[in-house]
Amino acid sequence: MVLHVGDVLPEVEAPKMDRLRLAYMAVSMRDPNLVHMEDDYAARSGLPGVIAHGTFVVSYAGAAVSRVVGVDAIKRLKVDVTGPVFLGDVLRTRAEVVDVEPAADGELLRLDLTVNRDDGQTVGRGEAVVVQRSR
Amino acid sequence: MSREIGHRFPEAEFRIDPARVEEYVTALGVEPTPGYRAVPGAEVPPGFFMYVTTYGAEPVHDQLGFDMFRTVYGGTEVEMYHPVRVGDTLSVRPQITGVTEKDGRSGRLTFVELTTEYLRDDGTVVLVERSNTVQRSQ
Repeated sequence: MVLHVGDVLPEVEAPKMDRLRLAYMAVSMRDPNLVHMEDDYAARSGLPGVIAHGTFVVSYAGAAVSRVVGVDAIKRLKVDVTGPVFLGDVLRTRAEVVDVEPAADGELLRLDLTVNRDDGQTVGRGEAVVVQRSR
Repeated sequence: MSREIGHRFPEAEFRIDPARVEEYVTALGVEPTPGYRAVPGAEVPPGFFMYVTTYGAEPVHDQLGFDMFRTVYGGTEVEMYHPVRVGDTLSVRPQITGVTEKDGRSGRLTFVELTTEYLRDDGTVVLVERSNTVQRSQ
């Protein structure tokens, strides 16, 4: 599949956020922060309940790109986490090719990335640079 | 506690354990590529690389004097220079590269940028990860 400026990649709809996902992420990351585990702890930070690791937002944005071009094609992934993700939220990605420039072995594509909660709030914004090899 | 720009943490070794990558992909519930399996030799998605995972949260957060109640994760930038594979062992070198203070509506905010280099045995930098965290004063 050859990508062009203006192309929108297939959306990634993440499964509904639940405690088991947070537990798996906490274990994978060895993250000791209880704001992802205990509602009481999160409440003391002024949150209505536990929040998902920012890694979810960054990774779903990355997955929207890698599922199309492969992991090794990604040269750069930058995602700012702009809002919290709570239990029950379903995240959806949007990735659009916005720029192309020639590179030594093909083209470098730049994609704008957005991750939204199902209530419409944007929780991640960023960009990816991927190499598209000439064939 | 020190937030001196340029501070380098002692280098550590991180092996990209298949179990860690599998747990990460299970947590997401979305495969980085269709049919992905976290076996030795498999690609490692950029979102996996986070100093908390690869270096450990405590040594960094202790040094930075972060109070987790007042800390918000701001985002990550990962630059991939060479392919990285499940099963690889990399040297991990975190460094404080940015400290900015701003007055916000809810008090003083401190923005900390931590840049972590990942190197192969031969000294080649394969990946650089830059993470941003925000610490509220209250």
